[in-house]
Amino acid sequence: MSLLQLIGITAVKILIIFTMMMLTVSYLVYFERKISAWAQNRLGPNRVGWYGLLQPFADVFKLALKEDIVPTNANKPIHTLAPVIALFVAFTTYAVIPFGPDISLFGITIPLVVADVNIGILYVLALSSLGVYAITLAGWSSGSKYSLLGGIRSSAQMISYEVSMGFSVAGVLLFAGSLRPAAIVLSQHGWMWNALLQPIGFITFVVSAFAETNRLPFDLPEAEPELVGGFHTEYSSMKFAGFFLAEYANMIIASALIVTLYLGGWQVPYIESIGLPAGLVIAIQIISFFAKIAFLLFFFIWVRWSIPRFRYDQLMSLGWKVMFPLSLINIVWVAGLIMIFRL
Amino acid sequence: MSLRRRKKDLTFWEKIYIPEIVKGLALTLKTMFKPKYTVEYPEVKFIPPASYRGRPVLVMEENGKERCVACGLCSRVCPPLAIFVQAAETPDEKERYPVKFEINMIRCIFCGFCEDVCPEEAIVMSKDYELAFSSREEAIYGKDKLLTPIKQVQDRINFLRQYK
Amino acid sequence: MPKIVLDGKEIEFSQGQTIIEAAKAAGIIIPHFCWHPKLSVSGNCRVCLVEIEKSPKLAIACSTIASDGMIVSSMSDKAVAARNAVMEFLLINHPLDCPICDEAGECKLQDYAYTHSTGESRFTEEKVHKDKRVPIGPRVMFDAERCISCSRCIRFCDEIAKDPELTFVQRGDRVTIVTYPGSELDNPYSMNVVDICPVGALTNRDFRFKARVWELSSTESICIGCARGCNTEIWVRNNEVLRLTPRLNEEVNSYWMCDHGRIDTFKFVNDDSRVDGPFLRHKDKLIRAGWDEALSKAVSTLKQYTKEEIAFIASPYVTCEDNYLFARFAKSVIGSKNIDFMRHIDPTFGDDILRREDKTPNSKGAELVGAIPAKGGLSFDGIMTGIKSGRIKALYIIEDDIVSAKPELEDILSKLDLLIVHSTNFNKTTELADYVFPSSTYTAKNGVFVNFQGRAQRIRPAASTIEQDRALDGMNLSRLDKFGTPFDSWANSKQRDARATWRIIQALMQIYGIKPKYSIAEDIFIDIAKNIEAFKGLNYEILGDLGVKLKTAKPELV
Repeated sequence: MSLLQLIGITAVKILIIFTMMMLTVSYLVYFERKISAWAQNRLGPNRVGWYGLLQPFADVFKLALKEDIVPTNANKPIHTLAPVIALFVAFTTYAVIPFGPDISLFGITIPLVVADVNIGILYVLALSSLGVYAITLAGWSSGSKYSLLGGIRSSAQMISYEVSMGFSVAGVLLFAGSLRPAAIVLSQHGWMWNALLQPIGFITFVVSAFAETNRLPFDLPEAEPELVGGFHTEYSSMKFAGFFLAEYANMIIASALIVTLYLGGWQVPYIESIGLPAGLVIAIQIISFFAKIAFLLFFFIWVRWSIPRFRYDQLMSLGWKVMFPLSLINIVWVAGLIMIFRL
Repeated sequence: MSLRRRKKDLTFWEKIYIPEIVKGLALTLKTMFKPKYTVEYPEVKFIPPASYRGRPVLVMEENGKERCVACGLCSRVCPPLAIFVQAAETPDEKERYPVKFEINMIRCIFCGFCEDVCPEEAIVMSKDYELAFSSREEAIYGKDKLLTPIKQVQDRINFLRQYK
Repeated sequence: MPKIVLDGKEIEFSQGQTIIEAAKAAGIIIPHFCWHPKLSVSGNCRVCLVEIEKSPKLAIACSTIASDGMIVSSMSDKAVAARNAVMEFLLINHPLDCPICDEAGECKLQDYAYTHSTGESRFTEEKVHKDKRVPIGPRVMFDAERCISCSRCIRFCDEIAKDPELTFVQRGDRVTIVTYPGSELDNPYSMNVVDICPVGALTNRDFRFKARVWELSSTESICIGCARGCNTEIWVRNNEVLRLTPRLNEEVNSYWMCDHGRIDTFKFVNDDSRVDGPFLRHKDKLIRAGWDEALSKAVSTLKQYTKEEIAFIASPYVTCEDNYLFARFAKSVIGSKNIDFMRHIDPTFGDDILRREDKTPNSKGAELVGAIPAKGGLSFDGIMTGIKSGRIKALYIIEDDIVSAKPELEDILSKLDLLIVHSTNFNKTTELADYVFPSSTYTAKNGVFVNFQGRAQRIRPAASTIEQDRALDGMNLSRLDKFGTPFDSWANSKQRDARATWRIIQALMQIYGIKPKYSIAEDIFIDIAKNIEAFKGLNYEILGDLGVKLKTAKPELV
């Protein structure tokens, strides 16, 4: 495989993934509104386009036309930089998530992942921690008390939940013996899904993922009733849209990560042994990957419209007194499994 | 000092939290498939019951004349001073009629006091809630807009007779 | 002093007083309809029933003469029950058409129905129907159904107006009031029956259905109909004067005022002919001008004449303050001796009740403050002959339509080179004028009138001009005034660009380089009190609501 081919193929993959991300993000907003409406006996957006399907474009169009207001006492460069960081982190993380098995096209073996990095998980953890900078900087640079409070809450929350998240992932790594996402996916062949093998780790990871994405019940940095929007109080127009998109992109990342680490990635248990044509198998596998993500995204939204927000002290005590010990227990559990069953 | 106890202490399963979350999720999921309450407004209109207090209107008798005798009680009782009445003499038996009757719909708060105080059942709250103006002048409703045939407000009058 | 005990309170009375009079003197009002302090006792309404100890039956307080040691109770169960019963009887045939009745809001029957009635009627039969809307006189409307047959109006015509026109006819529940055959209720005081009628049976035809009384503000003032200077209240809504009512002043008019004063002295205030802003003559036409332009042009034109060529006509219609400053302007600023005012005497107008032959409110005051010729100066007639002979070339008139009063003056005034007029309305005099300054009416300013008795009485602003703000200038406010905004049709009346005459004179004096520092009318009055013997020691507060009789009423020659 020549360098040119590599660059070309990668570029195509980036393009496909980026487009898909953008589309998914915009329709995620649409579904967020639809599902919230359904959960409240309402209809949701149904005016723009057929069943309101053009609503996301109308929203983007509206946001683009809005005046970009920067508060007088804001730190302008950082104020502008923050949403860029948020978006950058959200989109780059996706580079290491495999969404299907390797395929052969025109005699070239193409891994269905943008960058098959052998320390992929480390990369994800590193970047997702960077995301908090966007929020903290946004909060600080706005020159507003509400925003600052939102930013501070975000950093504290991030530190608390990063810990249990890391420990939960450690359990997965013990099984896989690799930091490569593709390897982790392959290690969950058959029904050996990590979600089933280490349910405690799965739960702590999901909870931490909610916290990391600032989704309800952990959306304290935004907390409309208390902080008037928190870190993005002082953002308008496309900068606000940046944060908005980043939040939903993060949701996709978190879902993809959960699928990759715990739900067997693109694998469908024992599908290879049924005897279907190879092409069909791969197609089913790719679809299963997206189906799993779709379910998780629904789950994210579903949870948001079901569970009220935690109080700040509850958030902290949950993080340190429950999630952290549980993830430690999970490591012991996994280690025990490995010891006993020689996995 | 004893610790303040909560009225209802959580049980073990509630403390675990997960079952409660599942319960909550089940509830919202169930709701998602229930019929919706939304009324798709401009196409489908909400027709309020007789107890509804929409914009106040003047009752027009079958002979095309208003019932109002311009006593000014509605104007006096109106908390935001939305109503202005100018009386004048008429050869009709009622002697007095409103030559000018204005309700400033920007001031009106739809309290229904005017209707409550009216000795003639001449001003009643209608079912009209579609009010929009583009200027202050437009929001001042004169007799032309206020006079409503008695048939259109008959159910409100019946309601008042029953419950006032 | 003999004493009676009324409701546990010992009160003194003078021999011959009835219980109701004694109570009133002590500040206790026993409920009453037919009794009136100025009318004879008729005792037919029965609502003043009181219980007197050792007397077998209840007695009516209005005709029972008080005697020493009487123990009277108007609050005992028996008295209250009797009052409730009387109220119930009175209300049996009362039509309860308060919504269309002009009396509503100031109705004695309405008030008593709240304070002295059970609020329930046991009467379910058909009420007696009588004539409604009867034009019983040119200025009074009669509604027979509302009448409670108290006979106050009949007694008023007999005793006060001295012109018996009304009487009861029929009996029982068919009793009603009619005029004697061939006559109407048209005596010059007929509208007082509207005030004394305790219900809405007799109402003011002029004010009929114009407004509800609770929408109006009322301001204490003085009638300008004649030299009597009856004390009045001016009732205003949305800056429009809607009616005048008399105000009690035992020294001047008691409870009464004449119909002329009541309806002919305020219409011009609301009229479309009001002068709105200063006007200049330009090519035979009066053109609206700015204040500064009009004032400075008037002064520069005045300066073209010698002081002997200028004459001044003051006015018995304006306040002492206006006349005082005008006289000072004429005598010390211009240096003219020719200042006088026209007397409006109508011998047919006067009578021996209230009306006076002098049909102006302040001729006495104008004389006292110096609006009369100085030694060697020309009187009114002298000025007119002076104009005819060409000696007087310029004339300055304030607020008096002398041409309408004496049509022959039109030819004389048209001979003038310069005529400056202050006027509230356009009239025959302003038609001849070169400069017309808009003056505010007596309803829009503070000031003092001196009536024929030499009694100084205050007028107060009730309707505002452009230079006033009702709230900031402390004028009486109605509810509508308090809460109205310029966006409410009931609060954005036209305010005319007019000023009190003294303000216009002061502005002229300032152009002449003299700077009198009067910021309110009372400043001038304090000046008058300092300089003129008759007013010594007075100010607005001392004048109060009822005025003060001046010590001397003889004009000094200045």
